[in-house]
Amino acid sequence: MRASASHKSSLCRSLLCCFLLWLLPTLSHADTFGVVVKNAEIALKGDSYLLSADINFQLSARAKEALQNGVPLFWDIHIKTLQHRDYFWDSTLVNAAIRYRIQYHALLNMYRVRNEGSRDVYNFSTLSAALDLMSTIRDFRVMDKTFYVPGKRYSVGIKVTLDRDALPLPLRPVAYANPQWYLSSDWTLWPLTK
Amino acid sequence: MASDKIKPPISLSILALFGLILLLLQLMSSATQESSELSAMYSWLLLVNALGSVVLLGLVGANIYSLARQLKKREAGSRLTTRMVSLFVVLALAPAAIVFYFSMQFLHQGIDSWFNVEIDRAMEDALELSQASLDQRMRWNLKKTRQLADKLEDSPATLATFEIENLRDLSGASEVTLFSRQGRIIASSSNNPSDILPSLPDEHIWLQLRQSGEFVALAPVREAELMIRSIVTVNGKEPQYLQALYPVPVRIADLADSVEFAFVRYQQMHFLRHSLKLSFSLALSLVLLMSLLAAIWVAFISIRNIIAPVKALVKGTQAVASGNYDQELPVIAQDDLGFLVESFNEMTRRIARASDETRMAGIEVENQRAYLETILANLTAGVISFDAVYKIRTANQAAYRIFHVHVNQFVGRTLLELVQGYAELAEPLKSIQRLVEQADDIWQQRIAFLGSNGRQELLCRGTPLFSQDGRRVGAVVVFDDVTDLIQAQKNAAWGEVARRLAHEIKNPLTPIQLSAERLQHKLAEKLTAPDAEMLQRSTTTIVQQVEAMKEMVDDFSEYAKPSKKQTVDIDLPGLVQEVLALYVLKSGVKFKTNYDAGLLMVKGDPVSIRQVLHNLIKNALEAIDGKGLIEISLHRVQKNNTDFIEIAIYDDGPGIKDEQIEQIFEPYVTTKAKGTGLGLAIVKKIIEEHGGAIWVDTSRRLPGTAEVSQSVGNRCDKVGAGFIIQLPACNF
Repeated sequence: MRASASHKSSLCRSLLCCFLLWLLPTLSHADTFGVVVKNAEIALKGDSYLLSADINFQLSARAKEALQNGVPLFWDIHIKTLQHRDYFWDSTLVNAAIRYRIQYHALLNMYRVRNEGSRDVYNFSTLSAALDLMSTIRDFRVMDKTFYVPGKRYSVGIKVTLDRDALPLPLRPVAYANPQWYLSSDWTLWPLTK
Repeated sequence: MASDKIKPPISLSILALFGLILLLLQLMSSATQESSELSAMYSWLLLVNALGSVVLLGLVGANIYSLARQLKKREAGSRLTTRMVSLFVVLALAPAAIVFYFSMQFLHQGIDSWFNVEIDRAMEDALELSQASLDQRMRWNLKKTRQLADKLEDSPATLATFEIENLRDLSGASEVTLFSRQGRIIASSSNNPSDILPSLPDEHIWLQLRQSGEFVALAPVREAELMIRSIVTVNGKEPQYLQALYPVPVRIADLADSVEFAFVRYQQMHFLRHSLKLSFSLALSLVLLMSLLAAIWVAFISIRNIIAPVKALVKGTQAVASGNYDQELPVIAQDDLGFLVESFNEMTRRIARASDETRMAGIEVENQRAYLETILANLTAGVISFDAVYKIRTANQAAYRIFHVHVNQFVGRTLLELVQGYAELAEPLKSIQRLVEQADDIWQQRIAFLGSNGRQELLCRGTPLFSQDGRRVGAVVVFDDVTDLIQAQKNAAWGEVARRLAHEIKNPLTPIQLSAERLQHKLAEKLTAPDAEMLQRSTTTIVQQVEAMKEMVDDFSEYAKPSKKQTVDIDLPGLVQEVLALYVLKSGVKFKTNYDAGLLMVKGDPVSIRQVLHNLIKNALEAIDGKGLIEISLHRVQKNNTDFIEIAIYDDGPGIKDEQIEQIFEPYVTTKAKGTGLGLAIVKKIIEEHGGAIWVDTSRRLPGTAEVSQSVGNRCDKVGAGFIIQLPACNF
């Protein structure tokens, strides 16, 4: 009986070890990849509140590999302005998105970033340069001054998502299952002050 | 019934479900085509299909759980269902698994076959070729730009603006721009007049330029337009940079684009190879899983439907086995099982009918038995039946009346066992037992014994019972108490004798007496004294004897004539006291009376009853020889649901010998020297004519009589005699 109990406990221990070992790379990767909104600043210039933010894109090895192999990645930078209400959910005043497509061009050995909204195309010889373009938001108009009601609280949020449904079809189930493809950031909210 | 009508047929529901599953699978299959509009919904379709599989898995799981519970409870049909479902699953799973395995094999091999080293190499070579071609063009363009820069070196800065236009025309560049060292535009010329601002190099280009002094690269200006950007240093007092943008010929650009597209596509496919396999495997697995689960679920439903009649049959059979024949199973379908169910219903109907008939027959037999039992119970003859080992099986009420042993004590015992409890019945019971055991044929015998009510005589007839194969299975004994009958016969005979005697003897007696007296009267004077004395003595003897004979004849006539002349209500204690009054004066005799409280009345002829009392008291007085104790008691007793008054007369005389007890009531039976022997016979006759009974009580003695017997040394067994009379009591 004791032998079987000890056998059981050792089995449990080894299973736990296996689980931790499986978790370890996930944890280490969790540290090295992902998208974080580093800082944001809202300034009143003229009649508008303008948002400037810096986003840190850290692609996972799997995402980089996909990009190197010509798979285009679509990123959506969602920006919203919320008006807080006491007894009701917050109302969204502005809901905007900037959609970028980043793709590697083997012929030119370049990374091409395209703003899907403005259809502007930028070419970069390095990935970091290409990501730099996407990570910098300068003077994005979030709200008109006229909408500002004194006494109310406002906040501006940024969220960056990797559009997994825009990935090539065979990659989609994998992208939903593999943590390496969980690159989207959470909503980061900043208060908007006068 | 109404809900059945509203409910769609199960086959339709199943068809609809299968249709839905097929549609979902088809949609998913279509979505896998990259170009399909459904492509965007691929993830959702995958999720919906997975959810569908989970739902189906749940349904199948619920069915399996329910089946397992039924199996555990050993419910009817559960084992058959399990067997059929297992068979179906094995039959469905085996080919599906084989197809699935080979499909996966083909899929993996098919995808792998798209890629091989040669194509890899060719693709890379094609790209390299394109790059080399463009590279060559770039170098040539750089060389041209250097020549332009050389030309520009000599010309003054102020003329540069004009010079640049010429240089651009000369070189064939689409745009030529001169930058200062700081990156400021000094002069610019473009073949497109709408371009106000020239294309500016980015920071990386500037960095490279400052390091190596030259820069050349392909620059995609617009989506499908390629340019070669070449920048060289213009040496002078102040170094400047000349940027020339050369368009790549459309054909070359197209070719390069095509090569790149193919290369990227190939590289993508190569990269996605595993994901593709996974994706297809997933889709295939999902299709297989959904189809199998749906099939198993439908199999469960179908098998349940098929098993339902079998289940009903099993339940019906169990019900029939436990005796419930009212089972009518519903006939669901007109197939073989339906036929079976119909046959079962017919069978149960027949069994029910047969069972009813058996029950009715049983009731009939029971009624017959009760009828026979009633008849037997009301027979005056006792009937006892025996089994093969001579134990009593049945006995009727008359047996009880005759033996005074309760019927309950008869059944299940042998006659010899009964003897132990009823010593007085030992003789007849042993005789009957012996006869029953020995007789092989119908037998008849009279058996006399001394019962509790005196001497009894039974007429027994026995019949041994045989089974069809000749085995003895028991016997039946019928017996009648013929005591009264025989007594009546005897009485009648004696009555006849007495009447004849009275008639034949009494008539000559008077002439004899008269003749003797006449002889005495006539001859006494004529004879001598001794002769006269002898005559006197003889005639006296004749007269005395004639007198005695007359008395005897009177007694006979008394015995012969009916005693119950008139019937009145007699108060017995009064009558007894009246009679005793005549005897109490006798010295030496002590009378003791003991009467029950209340009225002790009988119906009868007071003269006859008085005679009975006189006879019995006289008998007792004679027995005690003039001194002793006579005890008379009157009790109310109940016998066979009739009230009797019991008159008991006891004396402390020498008693009655056993051999005399049986015949003491017969005429001419006496122990005394004097007496006709008719006293007790007359008593018995009177009592019987009054519907009563008399017997010698052998069970009771007066206190102290036993000692007397021993001290005297008399041979009598019984000391002190007692008579018991029972007369029907008057009911008011």
